[in-house]
Parts: sequence; C-alpha cells; structure tokens
Amino acid sequence: MKKLISLILVLALCAGLVTVTASADDKLKIVVMVDGTVLDQNNGRDAIEARWEELHPEYDLEFVQPDHSAYYDVMQQRISSGDWPDVLILSSTYYAEYAAAGVLWDMTEAWENSKTKNSGRFTGDNVFEGLKIDGKLYGFAPTRGNGCVTYVKKAWMDACGITEAPTTYEAYIDMLKAFRDKYGTYAVAAAGFVGTEAPYVNYLPEFYQDAYPFFVQQEDGTWVDGFTQDSMKAALQRIQDAVADGLIDKETLTNKTSDARNKFYDDKFGVFTYWAGTWATNLKTNLEANGKDGELVALKPLEGNPLYYDRVPPVWCITAKCAHPQEVFDGFIDTMLDGGDTQMLWEYGAEGTHWTREAGTVLAGTEKEATYEAGQFHMLENLEKAGTLYTKNHIDPMLALAGFEEGYDDPRSVEPEALAAAELFNNNSRLASIVPVTDVLSELNGELTTIKNEIIADIALGNMSVEEGYQKFADEGALDMSNEIVESLNALN
Amino acid sequence: MAKNENLGKFVTPAGLEVPPPPHFNKPKSKYTVFNFVNGIIFVLVCLLILIPIWKVLIDSLDLTTGYGMKLLPTQFGLDGYLSIFTNQSLLQPLWVSIYTTVAGTFIGLLLSTMGAYVLIQWDMPGRTFFANLLLFTMIFSGGMIPSYLVMRAVGLTDNPLGPILLPAINVYNLVLMRNFFEGIPKSLFESADLDGCTPMGMFWRIALPLSKAALASIGLMFAVAYWNDYTNFKLYITNRNLYNFQMKLRDMMQSSDLPEAVGSATENTIRNACIITAILPFMVLYPFLQKYFVKGINIGAVKE
Amino acid sequence: MASTTSNGTIQVKKKPLLQRMQKYWGFYLMFIPVLVFVAVFHYAPMFGIRYAFYSWKIIGDPVWVGLANFEKLFRQSQFTTSFWNTIVFSVVKLLLNTGMAVIISLLLNEMISLKFKKLSQTIIYLPHFMSWVVTASVFSLLLSPSENGLVNQLLIRMGLIDKGIYYLADKQQWRVWYYIINVWRETGWQTIIFMATLTGIDPGIYEAASIDGAGRWQKMWYVTFPALGNTIITVLILNLAKIMNLFESVFVLQNDSVRRATNVLQTYVYYQTFNSGASADYGYTTAVGLFRSLVGLALMLICNYASKKVRGRGIV
Repeated sequence: MKKLISLILVLALCAGLVTVTASADDKLKIVVMVDGTVLDQNNGRDAIEARWEELHPEYDLEFVQPDHSAYYDVMQQRISSGDWPDVLILSSTYYAEYAAAGVLWDMTEAWENSKTKNSGRFTGDNVFEGLKIDGKLYGFAPTRGNGCVTYVKKAWMDACGITEAPTTYEAYIDMLKAFRDKYGTYAVAAAGFVGTEAPYVNYLPEFYQDAYPFFVQQEDGTWVDGFTQDSMKAALQRIQDAVADGLIDKETLTNKTSDARNKFYDDKFGVFTYWAGTWATNLKTNLEANGKDGELVALKPLEGNPLYYDRVPPVWCITAKCAHPQEVFDGFIDTMLDGGDTQMLWEYGAEGTHWTREAGTVLAGTEKEATYEAGQFHMLENLEKAGTLYTKNHIDPMLALAGFEEGYDDPRSVEPEALAAAELFNNNSRLASIVPVTDVLSELNGELTTIKNEIIADIALGNMSVEEGYQKFADEGALDMSNEIVESLNALN
Repeated sequence: MAKNENLGKFVTPAGLEVPPPPHFNKPKSKYTVFNFVNGIIFVLVCLLILIPIWKVLIDSLDLTTGYGMKLLPTQFGLDGYLSIFTNQSLLQPLWVSIYTTVAGTFIGLLLSTMGAYVLIQWDMPGRTFFANLLLFTMIFSGGMIPSYLVMRAVGLTDNPLGPILLPAINVYNLVLMRNFFEGIPKSLFESADLDGCTPMGMFWRIALPLSKAALASIGLMFAVAYWNDYTNFKLYITNRNLYNFQMKLRDMMQSSDLPEAVGSATENTIRNACIITAILPFMVLYPFLQKYFVKGINIGAVKE
Repeated sequence: MASTTSNGTIQVKKKPLLQRMQKYWGFYLMFIPVLVFVAVFHYAPMFGIRYAFYSWKIIGDPVWVGLANFEKLFRQSQFTTSFWNTIVFSVVKLLLNTGMAVIISLLLNEMISLKFKKLSQTIIYLPHFMSWVVTASVFSLLLSPSENGLVNQLLIRMGLIDKGIYYLADKQQWRVWYYIINVWRETGWQTIIFMATLTGIDPGIYEAASIDGAGRWQKMWYVTFPALGNTIITVLILNLAKIMNLFESVFVLQNDSVRRATNVLQTYVYYQTFNSGASADYGYTTAVGLFRSLVGLALMLICNYASKKVRGRGIV
C-alpha cells in the first residue's frame, strides 16, 4: 500500500516537472548528434557552429555531443525514448541495424542527385556501394574507414643487412627470423591473435593472408563460414609455427593495444601492423621520444596476399523523424564535401580558432616553435592541450573521399610518413563487407565466436594441433551452429 | 588524539568530566616478539601492495616508454603531470568534482544517518517494513532506460544535482551505519528521552557525536564513490561544462591514444600520470581521517 | 503490507497501533527524506521491470513475449557454467577478501607504532583507486611469462620453476590469480569498515580480560573478533545480494583462451550480445537482470534466515 502511494506521489511529481521547450525561429533548425570526432565545446566547437551558420544562413545548427566513450549509450537512450535528433553519426553495426529498423531516412535518391556525387571530385563510389543495404543508401561517409598497414623498423632492417622490404611470405619470414636472431626477441606482436570486430584479421595480415574467420560472401553470391575453409586451417598452421619459432609474441593473447604499442616503443619487437595515416607519425614520434630510431617502412601487401582491409567508415544519417530530410540533406550533408569553405570547416575547423593564414608564431618558447608569414596556412595551438597544435576537425584530410575544388587554396600538408602510409593503404585496400544480421546469426553467433576464438588461441599457443582444433569445433557443436547461420544467410538470397 | 595527550581529564560530549578508561593509563609499546613479527608482516604486505602501484608511478615520471618493471625512471620528467595540470579545461571539472563530492557526501551522510537512526527504533511500528523497503532496492532495479526516463522527467539530466542526489541514497552504507548506531548504549537514549529530548535532539546530540569513526568511514566511502563517479555523469550529463574530473581524465586517457604527444611526454607517460592524479586526493586526505579510527575513543568516553 | 508492522518480539503490552505510532512521529518525520529519495531514484524506475516480459529492440514498440526471455537465457548452452562460475567466483572472493580484511584489521589493531600503523593503512587502501582496466594491465605485466614478468622471474631465481608460466592463459592458474588480484585490490578498502568498528570496543573489556589473565591471542580471539562479528555478518550478507553483478573484474582479466571456462553470467551475456551483430534486446537484458536479482534475493534471504537462527537476529 505505502509503496503504491509513494509511487503515485512520485509519478505525480514527475508529471508536474516535465518541461516543454519550444523555440520559435523562422530558420530551419537541425539538431545534430555527434561523437568525439567533431571538435568539442572545449575546443572551439562554438566557433565551428558560428562559421557554419554564417556559410548557411538559412539554417540553425544545434550540436548534441555526449562524451566520446558514452556516445552509443546516450544515443540509444535518446532513440528509445523517442527524443530523436535530425542527424546523427553511426558506426557500421548500428548503421545496418537502424536502417533495418526504419530509424533512418532513405537517402538513395537524394544522393544520386547530390552535388557531391556529381562534382567530379568524388572518389568514394566503391565505399558508398559497400554502404548500401539492399540497394538503398541510408548514410553518408565523408571519409574512408581506414585500416592497418604493416610497419617495419628501418633500423632493424639495416642492422640485419636487409636492404629491400620483403614482398613475399618467405622473404617476410626470413626477415622475422633475422630479427629474432639478432635481437633475441620475438619479431611481431599484436593485440589478440584475432580481432574482436570486423575486419578481425587486420593485426596479423601476413599470416592470415586470404583467410577470414567470419562469414564471407563468395563471388557467386553464396555465403560460407570462412573459419571452416582450408585457407583458415593453413593460416592457423602458419600462426602456430610462427609462435613456436618465437617470431610472434605469445603474449599476443593478453596484449592490449597499449601493451603492444609500449612494447614496440621499447624495442621489444620490430614489425607492427597498425593504423595507417596519422598513426605512422605517432609511432615515429613516440619511438623518437624513447631515444629509438623512428624511421618505419610501410609494407605493401605481400605477393599473392589480398589487399589490406578497410573498415566500414562511420556514417552521417538523417533520422526518419526529421521533418525536412531533403532540406537537411542539401544543407548539411551535401555541403560537407563541397570542395570549398564548408569542407574546409569540417576538415580543419574554424579560421582564427583552429587555423589561420595570418603571420605569427605558434608554440613560442618550445622546441616546436614555428613562425609563419602572412598568407601561410598553419594550424593553431590546441585550446585544451598547451604545447600541441590542432591537426584536424571531423574529416581527416588524408581519408576524405573528395578533394577541394580546382583553385581552392588546399592547405593539405601532412607529415610525409603519414601521407606515404595513407597512400599506400588507400591504394592497397578493400572494404570489409557488411554481413546482414539474421535471427539465427544473432542467436548463435555469440557462442560460435567465443568457441572460434578459443580454438584460434589454443592452436596459436600450441596447446592443440590444427586437426585437434577443428575436431573440437565439430565436437562442441560449433560446426552445426556455423552451418545453421550459413543456411540462414543463403536463405536471404 | 588530543585526548591521548591529557590523560588526566576525560570529557564526555555532554561536558561531564569522567575518569579516563583504564585502557588509557596502561603503559604502551612493549617490544615483544609478536610486535616485531607483526611489523615484519606489514612491511611485506605494504611492499606487495606497492609493487604494482610503483610501476604506474614510475611510468608516470618517466619520459621514455618502457614495457617492463623499473625501479627508477630512465629519464625523469614531470611533463606527464604538467600536461595534465596546464590543461586549462581541467579546472572546471575539478571544481565540479569538488562540489559534487562535498555536497554529495554531506547529503549521503545525512540520509544514511537519519535512516539508520530510524532503523534502530526496534519498537517503532513499521520499522521492519521500512527496512525491507530499503533492502528491496538493493536487489531490484528498474534498469538503465527507465532510470533515464525518470531522471529526465524530474529534470535531473544535464543538471549537476543529478549525480549529487542519485548516489546519495545508498542502502549498503545506511545498513552499515545502523550497525554502528547499535553499538551506542541504549541507556543513553533512554535517559535523554526521559529528560524530554526530541528524537531529532537525540540524533544530533547523542547518535552523531558518538559515531565519529562511523561517520569518518561511511563518509569516506561516499566521498570516494562521488569522486570516482563516472557512470552517472556519462549517462545523465551531456553538457561538457558539467563534466567532472573523472570524466575528463578518462577523456584525456583516451585521447592520449590519439596522435598528439604533449610537450616531451609520450602517450604512456600521460596515461600513467592520469592514473596517479586520480588517486592523489585520497592519498592526501586519508591520513587526516585516521585520527577518528583510534580505538576506544568513542564508547569509552561515555562509560559512566 | 501495513499489517507487518509488529515486530514480534515486543508483544508484551500492546497499545493500539495509532497510539504507538504517535510516540514515534518524530522518527517518521525523519524518515521522509529517505523515503522520497528511494521512491524517486529506485521505485519510480521499477516500472521498467515489466520489460523482462517484452521483446524490445530499442527501436519500435515493446512486444509482449511472456517468459520467452527467461527461456532463452536458460537454453543457452553455457548458462550453467557461467551461472556456477558467478556463484563460485563471488563467494570465494567474498570470503577471501573479508577474511583477509578481518585478519589485517586485527593485526593493525595490535600495532604499537602509531605512525607505521597509519602508513600501512594508507598504503593498503590505495589499490582500490586503480580502475580495473589499469589493474588488469599492470598484473598482466607482473604475470608475464617473458623476462619482464616479475612473478616468474622470482620463482625462477628461487629455483622453483625453470621456465616462465603463462598464468593468465591457463584455465586453472587464471582462477588462482583472479582471487589474488581481488584480494590485492579490495582487502585494504574493506579494513576501513572493520577498523571503524574496532573503535567502538569498550577498552574496559580488555582491561577486565587482562585481569582475568587473558593473553594477547585470547583477547584477540574472545574480545576483538566477536566485536567484529556483527559487521562481518552484515558485510557478507549485504554483498551476497550483489553477487550476481560480478562483471568488470572478470571481464578485464579474461582472454580468448580462458573465456569459456571463466565466463560469469554477465560476461557471458555481454559476449552473446556483442557478437550477435545487433544491439541488445532490452527486454532480454532486463530479464537477465531480473533473474540476477531473484538469485541475489534468494541468497540473501537464506543467509539472513541462517543468521536469525544462529544469532537470533537478521541484518536489519
């Protein structure tokens, strides 16, 4: 009784306190929910907002930006409580699911007729093909997803008398063996023998080669479980041998990404497959800060190996509840890569806050002090972290799917090693495909993946042979689960 | 502590002078084998406890990045800490943390002591019901989304009061507090009741003054929970101006993963400096609280 | 519910209810703030418990599914393993942590150097402030099978083993270290509550015991330890209610090789969802939560009942 009364009291209290906010404005208001990839309030987001509204006076932009790590929790809360923004950023998992559930506005037609697609500058057609679900497009990706390339320490190669970067698996293994013998340590380490998310194999591509532990669509359109293929068995044998030979760090099992990086900086190993682009610079600076030689050689995929995997990039979506989706698309989405001032804003931030062309000195009094003349583009000092410069806003210039208009003053000047790694990756990568979610898959895959990963780890550590591993796979019913999922995927066709 | 120094006088909170309990007259410190062994045990225990923390501390002071254990930094430098404390946007979160911790601890202690005090009224009609009403909430919860809906309905989202008020009711602490109150001799309450003291009066004049150790320990538990609170800020606060220190530290630890080395500090140095910075306040605060943990100070003082 | 007000023990001369309540009006008044907080922050959201019987994929409306969510949970092939792991891990951990905390408190209590006592107290409570993620990463270094692993190096020097052992990759060793790491992290923190309880012991009792010729150990065993009894029982039972919440400490220490053997309910459900390719069915999550609550309730009631039988009273 009392409980009931108190409950009623509370409900009454709640009802009384619900506040209704309404804004009267003749401009079209766009509520945009973004994660930490857009510069935040402490980093001059207001300046970005002001500049954007200056460029697009018919709109009123409002950012909702939860803490980066809480983004998906908060976003789900909003969606489930009916409090939908007009535009939001989604990762590939949520994108596929929300599209299927009808949360997202179908922008296929808008995209076909968009200025961006028809600008002649756009280079991401294959990325957008990959984003289509049943032939329909629900999201816009301004960049590619990026992925990992293999970096080799130049100093280690020199010390072992290796003058040319290996191009075949045999040469690669020889190099690893030379490293092992020279330095008395393993040559490669990673965070996990298999990744937790697509594209699973991206940290050890030379060993996995064409194997893929998840479901893959073959050229004839049918699905198979990559784990049950011979290519996977061969890959696991390669990994087991390499661990037994002391070429791969056996602690790869328990390494976190930060452990792997720290070991790399501490010269525990010499070959590291990690993110392309700006990370190339970061690895270099951290190595140099550690008194090590920072020069890294980025490897092309080995001969006979497929290309590096590109992740599915995060996408900008318009929600189905948005009152004027076409207008929002035209004003907000389609201008992001306009090759002009708006793209500049998304790539580098607001002039005067994040970058400038005025004469001046940045980071005065530090080692990195630099003076620029009038007209010279340069980034400004970070508002939050003194001693560092801004590098970009939301769009990484190296990954952008469209360049600037001819004649626009493109300021792009990135560290050469980052550019080299990025270009190498962009030229040698393919998109990891999106696997459609079936009921059977969401029911069984949790269990299945755990067993697969256990078998991969146990084979890698030499606790069991490849045959024993696959025997276990069959014995524990995992093979049946795998077949059931494959069946359900094939039934979609 | 002060009472240890003038053993002759012993004063109850009510102002009565009483002879000191025998305990305080006893000569202390005998260097027996037991005490020696006991000391050795604690030296070892402290060492074991410190080894993992030492790793973090040394890494936070080392400008180079090493993977293994080190006794001392290879290249000593404070840049990790400098990059935290020269960060302009850290002052506001620090302030948020301080006021939510202080206010929250105060409200939390108030609710726990009042609730606990009511729960020791064994003869009060409804006592068992109230107790069960509280215990029930320890076990069952409505879940994340309903909690959010309620918080939003009462206007506590994006409101610093949210993370202050929500954790203030803590049944675990309340029950522990009740345990402490039970140690207070009943006769004290009874005689005060006969003197016409109101329940509130007894609460302020008897229950609280005699529970300093309990207040210190439960207060500490509240303070630590508030200081370390991350979940409530994550779920109910989206306005960056209302972030607390813990949110900010996590933010910085995450962004130290991004390619922006600060000064000559490497990502590893900053990450470890963040961890140490989060521990610091309570490393400093705890010794001050310890004077309330001296044995025999509470009940002994009111023995007639 | 209102009829449960009588305590049972005090039926000597029962006055009318209203009259008795009147005597306590001041206390009722004091309890109002507590009730308001509990009502708003705990009882108001409890309407959400009904989602345990719905399927709700966050988007769209919840669909009534009856007990299907529970069936789904019990049907999971790893359900039994992870359920027992949860109970075993938590109970062992709880007993070890509390036991160690009691021992440490008793020994601290006997310490004569006040300065060293304070210093020890401050040191042993520090690990509580390190997040689980950090704890896990430091310990995986200490336990490394390579030449960086302090534990292995020490054992090799002592001649106990000749090659580093990969503790965290071994299903049996993993459990041992899981408990050790938990003791390392939580013992010091738990002593706070015991140390505070010890301040409440009347020194006169020690004095009387001394006069009766009791030695240090006897005093410790017959005076100090029983004084902690109530707090120990309370701490144990209150923690029982939360047993099924075990998640983070296991999660951060797991790896692919030991995951299936060491999964607890929460980590199991996490991986089920994480690898399902879809975001969680909120109904299912709620059902798992409700199941955990019911187990917690049962455990707590059993122990409270046992406590009543043995000591004549429960925890509240």
